[in-house]
Amino acid sequence: MIDLQDVTVSYRDNTLALSHVSLSVKKGEFVFVVGPTGAGKSTFLKLLYREERPTSGRVVVAGEDLNAIALNAIPFFRRKLGIVFQDFGLLPSKTVYENVAFALRVIGMPRQEIRRKVPVALEMVGMSHRPDAFPGQLSGGEQQRVAIARALVNEPPILLADEPTGNLDPDTSTGIVELLSHINQTGTTIVVATHDTAIVDRMQKRVLGFERGSLVRDEQDAAYRLRIPEMPDAPESVIALPDMDTGERDAMFTPPSTANVPIGEAAC
Amino acid sequence: MSFGSLFFLIQEAFFNIRRNGLMSLAALGTVTVALTVLGASLWTAYRINEVAQDEPKTFNEVDVFMSRRATRAQTLDVINGVKKLPNVGSVRLVTKETAWAEMQRREPKLTQAMDTNPLPDKLEVEAVDPSHMDPLVRRLGRKAEFPDVADVTAASQEVKMLLGLARLVKAVGLAAAAGLFVATLFIVHNTIRLTVFARRREIKIMQLVGATPGFIRFPLLLEGVFHGVVGAGIAGALVLYGGHEVARFIHEINTPLVGDVPSRLGPVELVAGLVAIGALVGLVGSHFAMRRFLKQV
Repeated sequence: MIDLQDVTVSYRDNTLALSHVSLSVKKGEFVFVVGPTGAGKSTFLKLLYREERPTSGRVVVAGEDLNAIALNAIPFFRRKLGIVFQDFGLLPSKTVYENVAFALRVIGMPRQEIRRKVPVALEMVGMSHRPDAFPGQLSGGEQQRVAIARALVNEPPILLADEPTGNLDPDTSTGIVELLSHINQTGTTIVVATHDTAIVDRMQKRVLGFERGSLVRDEQDAAYRLRIPEMPDAPESVIALPDMDTGERDAMFTPPSTANVPIGEAAC
Repeated sequence: MSFGSLFFLIQEAFFNIRRNGLMSLAALGTVTVALTVLGASLWTAYRINEVAQDEPKTFNEVDVFMSRRATRAQTLDVINGVKKLPNVGSVRLVTKETAWAEMQRREPKLTQAMDTNPLPDKLEVEAVDPSHMDPLVRRLGRKAEFPDVADVTAASQEVKMLLGLARLVKAVGLAAAAGLFVATLFIVHNTIRLTVFARRREIKIMQLVGATPGFIRFPLLLEGVFHGVVGAGIAGALVLYGGHEVARFIHEINTPLVGDVPSRLGPVELVAGLVAIGALVGLVGSHFAMRRFLKQV
């Protein structure tokens, strides 16, 4: 469903946003993308919805080779994706119903289809009781549910979420992630970039760890923090990683006694 | 694009105009001011040109003032003489009594202070060919032929001046109109850019949910055209009102320069022309204004 081969993204000022990243995500997977601010999580997501282009390497998403995709084909490619943001991205002047319907209207879907699909999406995210409310009248969690409904309403095979719980309290965050998990069970591939330790730990899904633009970790059924095997005889255990200087390595891999430091915080 | 989508886009455009009320009002105000200036300039240039082209027909007249001592019989002799001259179409006598009565009607205070009628008889000589006025004027002024004629004035000088002015206005007016058009376009472009900038979040969302550039562009272009058309409509009304007031003023001061020359361009044509310019300016302005935002696909 998602395939990156030796992808590097560098900006005009020579900042390296992603460096030689190769990975693939299968259909129906649930993946967390973790790492400190500036690690390359957002760039990774932007690559997936073709907001960014790779400087080198190959990106294939939902069967589309994004290196070769024509500009006028990008809108049609994006209809295969649902995108959720930390700030919800709702239009404040439109009601809940209109916000969700907006995603279908702008792709020219017939009105009858819209009338059929929007209530289903709102029902799925538990917002069918407030279709006429405006975003300003909703809590953060409710707004995020509406944003998820908008992302889902076109039934995309992939849902990308950039810090979907970033503005929410822990209980609400849990609810949102459970909702994403529920959506995942219907077959939607889900990629969530997050700083939220608790939800990653709770879900125990595949975790992709980014550090300074490099993919330094790809672990199944994982927690936010890297699990290091008990090595009592080697308290200063160091795992050799390619292309990493000592400082980064120390931030990511610490002896068991201090291993609870989250990746994001350790790099700050 | 289906009818449903078109309806949605038109609905969106008007919804956005209403929602961004203040911004729309600012855009509308700017467009109105810019188009009023442009419209007034074009209208003035057009009218002067029109009057200048028309005037030779109404100003092919020579006024021959008799000496105040001349008797009516002498005046009639002059009339007979003038009628025989080449390039003379008609001769009309305005007697000193008639002129005095007219003056008393127009300037009652001034005439009350006068004991006697100071005006002479006047002949209004109409030339057949207005482009050959000078020989006629010179002939009428010859003392040997018309000793009882005191003075001859022709509109030819005024016509020459007016035609010269018209040429100048045509050249300067066209350059100014072109400059004003570009300035108007620039103002409208910047104003619409502000409205587009205020809507960049919405545009971004549209892009991310898979709206095509054409779908995103349409309501914004429609908004630009709406501002252009409504602004032009208001500007047209202002120019018409201003033109009417100027015409009234000219009529009141009774200048011989600008007579009541009917315009070939009626109020409907003027407003329609301005509306067409407004629509074009709104369309082009909003097209360029949103280009930058839509590039960020």
